[in-house]
Formats: sequence, C-alpha cells, structure tokens
Amino acid sequence: MGIPLVLNRKNRILLKELTKTDFKLRYQGSVLGYLWALLRPLLMFAILYIVFAKLLKIGSDIPHYSVYLLCGTAMWSFFTECASQGIQAIVNRGDLLRKISFPKYIVVVSATLTAVINMLINLAVIVIFALINGVTPTWSWLLVFIPLIGLYLLALGIAFLLGSINVKYRDITSIWDVLTQALFYAVPIIYPIALVAESSATAAKVILLNPISQCIQDIRYFLITNETITTWNYINNKFIAIIPVLIIIVLLVIGALIFRKKSKFFAEEV
Amino acid sequence: MKREIGSRTEIYDDISDIAIKVSGLHKSFKLPTEQAFGLKQAFFNRLRGIKGYTEQKVLKGLDFEVKKGEFIGIVGRNGSGKSTLLKILAGIYYPEKGNITVNGNLVPFIELGVGFNPELTGRENVYMNGALLGFSNEEMDQMYDDIWDFAELKDFQDQKLKNYSSGMQVRLAFSIAIRARGDILLLDEVLAVGDAAFQKKCATYFESLKEKKQTVILVTHSMENVRKFCTRAMLIDDGHIIKSGDPKEIAEAYTNLWA
Repeated sequence: MGIPLVLNRKNRILLKELTKTDFKLRYQGSVLGYLWALLRPLLMFAILYIVFAKLLKIGSDIPHYSVYLLCGTAMWSFFTECASQGIQAIVNRGDLLRKISFPKYIVVVSATLTAVINMLINLAVIVIFALINGVTPTWSWLLVFIPLIGLYLLALGIAFLLGSINVKYRDITSIWDVLTQALFYAVPIIYPIALVAESSATAAKVILLNPISQCIQDIRYFLITNETITTWNYINNKFIAIIPVLIIIVLLVIGALIFRKKSKFFAEEV
Repeated sequence: MKREIGSRTEIYDDISDIAIKVSGLHKSFKLPTEQAFGLKQAFFNRLRGIKGYTEQKVLKGLDFEVKKGEFIGIVGRNGSGKSTLLKILAGIYYPEKGNITVNGNLVPFIELGVGFNPELTGRENVYMNGALLGFSNEEMDQMYDDIWDFAELKDFQDQKLKNYSSGMQVRLAFSIAIRARGDILLLDEVLAVGDAAFQKKCATYFESLKEKKQTVILVTHSMENVRKFCTRAMLIDDGHIIKSGDPKEIAEAYTNLWA
C-alpha cells in the first residue's frame, strides 16, 4: 500500500467528489458564500496594510509594497489553511474511515485541495492588483508555480506527519495553532526582510532558511519585483541555500512514511 | 509498541470457486481505560507504568470459506464479533493474525448512507454516496432518475438532507446502495430499519440477489431472513464460530443461545 502517483479510477472519483464536498461545505450557510475565499485574505491584507504601511510606515522603499504585502498574506493563508485542514482531515472524516476501505491519504489530499482552489482564486486577484499597481507582466510570472508547488508540498508533508499523530493525540491541533502564530512572525510577511538585514545579516539569513520564507520570497520575486531579497540571491553558499528545499523534501518523505505506517490503524483509533 | 499484522490479499481468479477464504483470524482491540487521548495522559501513564488500555480479544481464531454464489448469514449475539469480522473482510480493520483472501471485487455496506451530509442537498448527497461506491458523475447521471423513483422522494431532491426524516434518508440510501455492482456484497444489518413497505422492498432485493447467485455475506439478527434467503449460515459466539451449516439449524441454535 504505497502512495502511488497515479490513482486508479475509483480513487480518482472519490478524490474529486470529496474535494467538491469539502469546498461546498466550507462556505455552507454563509450569505456571501464562495466570496469569502476572496474576502478573507483581502480583509487581512487591509488590516495589515493600515497598521504597518500607513501607521508604522514600513516598506515605503519597496516598489509596489501593497501588492507585495497582499501576496505575502495570501500565500501565508494558503500555507496555514492547507496544513491545518490537512492535519485535521483524518479526524474530520473519521466516520468515512470507519465504514469504507480506501487509501487514507485521499482524505488528506482532498482537504488540502480546497486550500489550493482558494489560493488560485487569490492568485488571480493578486495578478489583477499587480497590473493596476503598474507591475509589468513578464515571462517570469509563469515561474511562480515552482515556489507555489514547494509551499504546497511543505504543507502536505506537515499534514501527513502531524495528521497521523493527531489521530491519537488531539493536542497536535492546538500545538499547531500556537506554532503557526509564532511562525507568522518568523516569516517576512508584514516586515520587509531588508529591515532585518540592515541590523543583522545573520538573522536575515536564518529567516531565509525557513522554507516558508524561501517560497514566499520567491513568489514575490517572480511576480512583483526582482529587487526582492530571496534565499538564492542573499545566501552565497549554494550548499546552504539549498537547505529550505531539503527541509521540504525530508518532511514530505518522513511524513508520507509515518502516515503509511500509521494509516492501517486509523479506522480503529480515530 | 510493535503490532503483529496478518494479511489480507485481493485476487481476481475466475476459475476458482472460492470467493473468500479466512484462516486463523485473530483480532483484538486496545481499549483506553480512562481518558487516554492526549499527550499529558500518555505521559503520565508511561510514568506510572500503566498501559492506559485493556486488551479485548474479539476474534479468537476463525477459519472458513465462502464459495461463489453462496448467500451466507452470520448470526450471533451483540458483541460476539460479527461486525468486526465484516470490517476486516472489507479491509477497514487490519487482521491481527491469520490470512484472508478475497477473490473478486468486494462491496461493503457497513452502514447505509455512508458520507451523507445533512448540510448538502439530496442531489449532492446522491453523487457523494455514489462516488463512495465507485460510480463516476456520468454513471450517476444515468442512474439518477431511477434512484429517486425507487426512493419515491423525487420532490425532495433539492432539499437539504437535514430536512429529511430518518426514514426518508434510509430510503434514499438504500435506493443508491442497490445499484452497487460487485462480485461479493457485505451487508451489516442494513435492514434493521424502515417501515413495512421498506422491509418488503428489501426482501424483493434479497430475493433478486439470491436468484442471480450473487455472493452475499449478511450479518443479521433476523432469523426469518436467515431461513428465507441464506444458503448457509454461521453462528459466532465469543469470537469463535460455534456452528456452521444449514440456515434452519443455525437459526434454531441462535434462538437456543438464550434457552
């Protein structure tokens, strides 16, 4: 029972239908419905923009700072939504697991795919904002999918790893909530990394070794301005600069292995 | 904490007349003694040297075969291990010891309406439930009208499921379930519910399964159904098969459990 890259017909149908249901249920019973997928990051952006850009006057030297900030908050929302939905997927779908037999990772993947759909909608909004803001479209926009996939795989790896532990120890959900709060400040979303680099180059480098920072900075680099400081152009030693990518791969492999081992008992333990 | 695992193999052998073969099947569950969920409790339990669970042996060595075309009834009192057996056959639980071979495509009904969501409409739930049975959207489109006609609920298809009565939900679920096609059907007390009209429909469905020589494993408490539909029956008690054979004799033995 491995994790095959190509799903058979039955599992494909199941994945599609579960994702559709998850997406529908997310906004069930709200007046604005799917619009919330757009509104949430926009509102979060508005708050941060007022507080940080207008009141604290941070980031005035970054070109297109508002889009830069919007891009950061939207990608952060994508990552946290992906990871937390993925972590809880097995417990949330416990009734299904106890009654039919199917590869359990389908449940995790379908939960994260809802976040992917939301992210794609947000990406369209970011592009529109960027154009309004005077960002010139370039071919490098297409490269944005590379760090996006990196960010998704990171969230998926975390979801597999923590999701399998969460079945038995529900504390994981709460721990992860606190951890994401802390991580938010460890990633250059509301503050420009240049601000950190001014006072300590080492601190900036450490921040950039976090795979979330690496992905988000790369997305900004490809999408908004090549003045963005990224892991690649700030850390000269390529063996060190590759660390964030290695973290993503290692987490995904370990997560998948542990998930595969534990998934046999999910139906009994959930 | 290493756990032993038995094996469950799926094969597709048209020539063999065996549908399911079970040998030396054991299963036990670790039941948490007190609230053993949570890291704190796990930590303290380890500290005090408490296991935090008791082991309950549910199946204690089962051996049997099901031939293709048999309609097997499994009977026994509550907690005797019937449902656990069914879930292991279905691949939901892992066998702890022993080997299981399933020959052909197996469709389990541990419960009717798996995945039904009260917040979704009848229509959405039909497609969802169909997907769990392995039907694509296109296949469901074709069956869609038949499902609602059979359930006699056509006017409710765009209502949310939470506005259905429980009887209506069961009717809808049953109407989808009978579309399932598999070499082996596992049915767990699916028919314990519903009114007289519904029971009649179930009986007709069973009759058709028996005529088609469909391989069925039915877990039930209804000795009437065992006598009427089963070609063979097994009585399970305390994790053992204590009797297997003619449905009439088994039904009698079941009744005598309390004598």
